[in-house]
Amino acid sequence: MKKTYRILPVYTGDVSGAASALYELGGMTVIHDPSGCNSTYNTHDETRWFDQESLIYISGLNDIDAITGNDDKFIKDICYAAEKMKPLFIALANSPLPYLNGTDFKGICKVLEEKTGLPCFYVNTNAMHDYSKGQSEAFLSFAKKMLKDPAKKVKNGVNIIGMTPLDFTSTDIYISDGYGIVSNWSLNTSFENVMRAPEAELNIAVSSSGIAACEYMKERFGIPYVKGLPWNGKIRDYMEVERKASQKYIVGETVISGSLAAYLKETTGEDYNVFASTEITEGLLLDCDKRCHGEEEIEEALKDAEVIIADPMVKYISPASAKFIELPHFAMSGRLYRKQIPNLMNPEEYIHGT
Amino acid sequence: MPTSSDDRVRIGDAEFPKPFVNGLEFNAPVHGTWNIVHIGFRIPEAHQIYICADNCLRGVVMTAAEMGELGRFSSVVLEEDDMTHSGRIEETTVEGVTDCLNKLAKIPPVVIIFPVCVHRFMGCDIGYIYKQLEERFPDVKFIRGFMDPVMQKRGTTPDQRLRKAMSEIIPSLPVDIDTVAFAGSDMPAVNNDFKTILGINGKTVKDTAGCKSLDEYLSIGASSLFICQYPAGLMATQTITKRLERRFIYAPLSFSFETVKEELTASGLDIPGGFFENGIKICSDEVNKLKDLIKDTPVAIDYTVAPKPLSLARFLLDNGINVKTVYLDGIDGSEEEDFGYLKTNYPDLILHSTIHVSDRRPVRSSEKVLAVGQKAAWFEGTEYFVNMIEGGGFYGFEGIAEFIRQMEDAFVNAKDLRDIVPRKGLGCRSCI
Repeated sequence: MKKTYRILPVYTGDVSGAASALYELGGMTVIHDPSGCNSTYNTHDETRWFDQESLIYISGLNDIDAITGNDDKFIKDICYAAEKMKPLFIALANSPLPYLNGTDFKGICKVLEEKTGLPCFYVNTNAMHDYSKGQSEAFLSFAKKMLKDPAKKVKNGVNIIGMTPLDFTSTDIYISDGYGIVSNWSLNTSFENVMRAPEAELNIAVSSSGIAACEYMKERFGIPYVKGLPWNGKIRDYMEVERKASQKYIVGETVISGSLAAYLKETTGEDYNVFASTEITEGLLLDCDKRCHGEEEIEEALKDAEVIIADPMVKYISPASAKFIELPHFAMSGRLYRKQIPNLMNPEEYIHGT
Repeated sequence: MPTSSDDRVRIGDAEFPKPFVNGLEFNAPVHGTWNIVHIGFRIPEAHQIYICADNCLRGVVMTAAEMGELGRFSSVVLEEDDMTHSGRIEETTVEGVTDCLNKLAKIPPVVIIFPVCVHRFMGCDIGYIYKQLEERFPDVKFIRGFMDPVMQKRGTTPDQRLRKAMSEIIPSLPVDIDTVAFAGSDMPAVNNDFKTILGINGKTVKDTAGCKSLDEYLSIGASSLFICQYPAGLMATQTITKRLERRFIYAPLSFSFETVKEELTASGLDIPGGFFENGIKICSDEVNKLKDLIKDTPVAIDYTVAPKPLSLARFLLDNGINVKTVYLDGIDGSEEEDFGYLKTNYPDLILHSTIHVSDRRPVRSSEKVLAVGQKAAWFEGTEYFVNMIEGGGFYGFEGIAEFIRQMEDAFVNAKDLRDIVPRKGLGCRSCI
């Protein structure tokens, strides 16, 4: 049954993804939820909580408010917190119960804007999707609400879009050929930094969660984009590297896995196929790749594997005969392998003997 | 008197039992307390199955993973289609649990099922689900858990109800008058006068918090007396003792000598002559030693360290210890008398919320603070703290004396705050 998990953890959820994407941007993110989401997020899905403050809260929804749709308390509590904590903007994230009762978040945002004078936007989550979807929604909602036409352009300026600690440990990115980074969405960054994004001439989506914001900025500001990690300093779309079907597999986030497969093809000549196990895959896979969602699909797909590159947890459902190369991924194994997570920008340091 | 909308209030101005207004909630990065996953694993050989949405599932599955217990944990993911098709949520739950169990190498004897808020909200037919499961797996004892935090602000919490559900598989066995059980706590009884006196009385002691096998857990049904020392376990203890027609004592760790004497006496056990006098003297000597050691160092206490934080504050203040702050968000009914006493005698004592929006930016002093509990340590930013939850299984004069010794040790020996407090479930295995 596709909905059951015997041994694999589920990926970080969409609500946590949204919070992670907005963490460093100076706003206040409110998850409309009884409890649990905030603890799950700060315990298992957020590495910055101890060292860097961020105004991420839950509403503490109770059964009566959920049943009666009591939005007044939600609005009043947010206004109080905004007055007290002075955020730069307010973002609202949804969870299962408000999703079920059809809470009008966009309407609430309008009311909040009137009452607080702050920009307010809704991030379309419901706790039933993975983090990549939540991050994607957050980046897109932020871009739509906050970005303004640029006063100037930065020649050869690029934005890094789709970077959070759920996928990445480092923002140490080298880009050659005269390119320079204008903004990072959104790791080791700031509100002021991401607001400069329209000044750039090129966007780089470094994960699938960056694609929607890149598409928006292409349409709104005419900024083109490429997909993939800029290894060896070169900006190149990973989908331009042709690969053939093989029994060597990379399981993980779509764009990162695709980029790694492209890197391996170019540096070793080996064909690796991507089993994209996160949600956003449309237009991001070659014919030899496929989407694998959930434990059962991944286990089935790996049955004939000769080599597997994946988070160590995937080893539990991998054939014993396959060579397994561990690539810990925080959005899957969380704190269990945190100390072993490599800098994805340096594949030569963690891909050995392929 | 109104509750405070601020993050702190003088106890002299505070209202019982809710000193603070409910609002948006912050969550401190302090995780030593137990959640329902830790509690459920207290039944040896039990398997847990959660049926919920991705984001809700993440917290519990990673709890099990960090305990190294994924082999005793399965999950069923709920998606949008489960909410929009009539009857689908029941079908997904029954078929999902069935699939989880059939994938295991061996069907476990006990399975704890955790539906969630969504099951309640949709009016899911829980009775139908268990009927189906019990027909499919007649040899399995199904425990009816719930992960429904939407209900926890009114009535009972999910962990209170889980403890009750876990007690329901304990059978009614013939009474053994020489067997007594500690029940409902997460911490096994240690440094505990009840345990000492039970030993003196030749009783066999069992403990729901320390069973090594399922048979041992089930054998608790022979106990003649149940001792509950943790508030969240009281409902479970009341229920099981009513069902089995046994006696129970409720005696959470108190720092009042009179309360200890009353509760020990009420047990009906033989108490050696001089036990009370000797215990009081040891505690008094120990607290004087603490005072000499820490002098006027500010002390902060939090509600996770012991079931009666105000009783602790009162005891320490009455003995000259400079308690400045108690971190809590509500006050248990059993502490009303201590609350009133502190309000009258120490009105400047600060009650500080742990979930208020302002807590995201705690104001920390540069002076040395002795914290009693993990949350107090994080809020005060101190490495000098007592690393304990739920009273540590302590009780009585022996418990009070050992508690003070731990304060002395904490004052002298710094701990690694950022390594310790993010770990979940103090006392459980942690693989991070």
